[in-house]
Amino acid sequence: MGYFIFRRTVGFLLTLLVVSAVVFAVMNVLPGDPALTILGMDATDDALAALREQLGLNQPVLTRYFLWIWNALQGDFGISHSFRVPVSELIAERLPMTVSLAVAGMLFTLVIALTLGIGAAARHRKAGDWGVMFMSQIGIAVPAFWLSMLLVLLFAVKLRWLPPGGFAGWSDPVAAIRSLILPTIALGVVQSAVLARVTRSSALEVMRQDFVRTARASGLSRRRVLWRHVLPNALVPIVTIVGMQFAALVTGTIVIENVFYLPGLGRLIFQSIANRDLPTVQALVMLFAAIVVTANFVVDLLYVVIDPRLKART
Amino acid sequence: MFELDDFSVSFGSGTALRYANLEIREGDRLGIVGESGSGKTMLALCLMGMAPDAATISGRLSIDGQDMTHANERLWQQMRARRVAMIFQEPMTALNPLRRIGDTVMEPLIVHDGLSRAQARMRVLALLEEVGIPDPPARMRMFPHELSGGQRQRVLIALALACNPALLIADEPTTALDANVALRITDLLVRLAHERGMALVFITHDLAAVARTTENIVVMYGGDMVERGPTAQVLANPAHPYTKGLLGARPDPTAPARDANGKRRRLPTLPGTVPPLSALPQGCRFSGRCAVELDYCATTRAPDHAVDANRAAACHLLGGVKP
Repeated sequence: MGYFIFRRTVGFLLTLLVVSAVVFAVMNVLPGDPALTILGMDATDDALAALREQLGLNQPVLTRYFLWIWNALQGDFGISHSFRVPVSELIAERLPMTVSLAVAGMLFTLVIALTLGIGAAARHRKAGDWGVMFMSQIGIAVPAFWLSMLLVLLFAVKLRWLPPGGFAGWSDPVAAIRSLILPTIALGVVQSAVLARVTRSSALEVMRQDFVRTARASGLSRRRVLWRHVLPNALVPIVTIVGMQFAALVTGTIVIENVFYLPGLGRLIFQSIANRDLPTVQALVMLFAAIVVTANFVVDLLYVVIDPRLKART
Repeated sequence: MFELDDFSVSFGSGTALRYANLEIREGDRLGIVGESGSGKTMLALCLMGMAPDAATISGRLSIDGQDMTHANERLWQQMRARRVAMIFQEPMTALNPLRRIGDTVMEPLIVHDGLSRAQARMRVLALLEEVGIPDPPARMRMFPHELSGGQRQRVLIALALACNPALLIADEPTTALDANVALRITDLLVRLAHERGMALVFITHDLAAVARTTENIVVMYGGDMVERGPTAQVLANPAHPYTKGLLGARPDPTAPARDANGKRRRLPTLPGTVPPLSALPQGCRFSGRCAVELDYCATTRAPDHAVDANRAAACHLLGGVKP
């Protein structure tokens, strides 16, 4: 058990190190001179050279890489070229937006997918089951950006129930939740369609097992058998998919934030790429990658929490 | 208490249970024997209201005078655990692997009897003690994979007994266990039935176990109840050709391993195999394998004929009259 956690932790840290190297390498072989981008086409050679010196661009690549890592570990990602403020401030300002959206999307996905998936399994080969399978097929096929536009057209433009975009922060919780509803649905529909299918097939497999018959023979209601006995045993494949989906949700915010004009990291990375704002892009790509790797690490640890038999084996 | 009248279960492909008549009274100890596919497990599942969804049921099943033939799931949930409980063949897979033993056994007590966790815990400790599990407080915290097969079967018995059922159905409870463990489980079931005044239906193909545990016996073949009566009498002097064949198929440990010519002796067997549900003969299910078959056996179902005061067998040979 202890060895298992130790091994996974070492793997987690190594993955992050490799990711950082790849991110740094990719950003530094990209064509374009940051100094030229900042000062513009008609800058003098002297000014360019001075700026390169100031930005540390004249130092060897390895030195720059380790300097970047060293500073990043202390929360210093450099100064944004386009916004002229520390990148860490930019991130701190926009992180709550993206985290709110990703967490809301995850909750939406879990609630919808588990309810529909377990419900479909309980009605195996009946109308309810077919209905869920049909809806999930559609859900998987619909692109998120297109669904976003349809949602805005219907609920914001035509019905005027919800705002079409923007986010003013959590100081007014009601307004914040109202602005999050449409982006959350747009973000979560595909993921919940996928997860509902996984939940259904995993639950069907568990329902064939002997202990489910024992639970029914103890006079427990179908609902109780499903949620208390079948679901926990169906969780391992579900958690695996949820881990990957959390990563997909975080990166999915890039599209959704741009469609809904939400001031989050997704919009920031989009703007920074357009502005060739190297330190910001580099920090954000690293951050997104770290979130994905962390999600997978958490899933690995969850397996042991779910299934006590794994403790004995690992 | 439990009554079956001309109770039949059929599927699209055939009949799993045909005109079953059975009465189980308080404290009865009844054995049901037969080969795989004889309908004994189907009978048990029907007594629990757990027949597969695809089954078509006819006849009548009543519990305490209440007609349960087509009762809904909610009504059956009231019966299960409190009136009738069941333990299954495979103790290794019959317990939820993610739950501690204590939580599993406590659940029906909390759900049905409305006990608090603390009260339920006390009851479970007593139950585990009663079924012979050493150190109950420690076992309660264990997961199923930490227990042996015999221990798990004891846990399942404790779970079945939790809400004091009037009838306990044991469906081949010892088939998956070592012989000496099986013997102890069998004796435990008899002791519990006796101490609690609980009726016991013991389903098995192990004739020695039936002789140890039950007062009465029903022999099943191909979905029919072919013979019934007091266990000792039926086993000593079987009336139905199938029962005779079944008893004849017991290995005789005193027989020499080789015959007069020095050839290895074969174990005695019943000729043929049980046909699939859809291919069973319309009349007596045993026709085709029977040594003393009459010309109309395959087409006409044999009614129960009295063998003596409290014994009956479904065989045309015992009727003496041609239809």
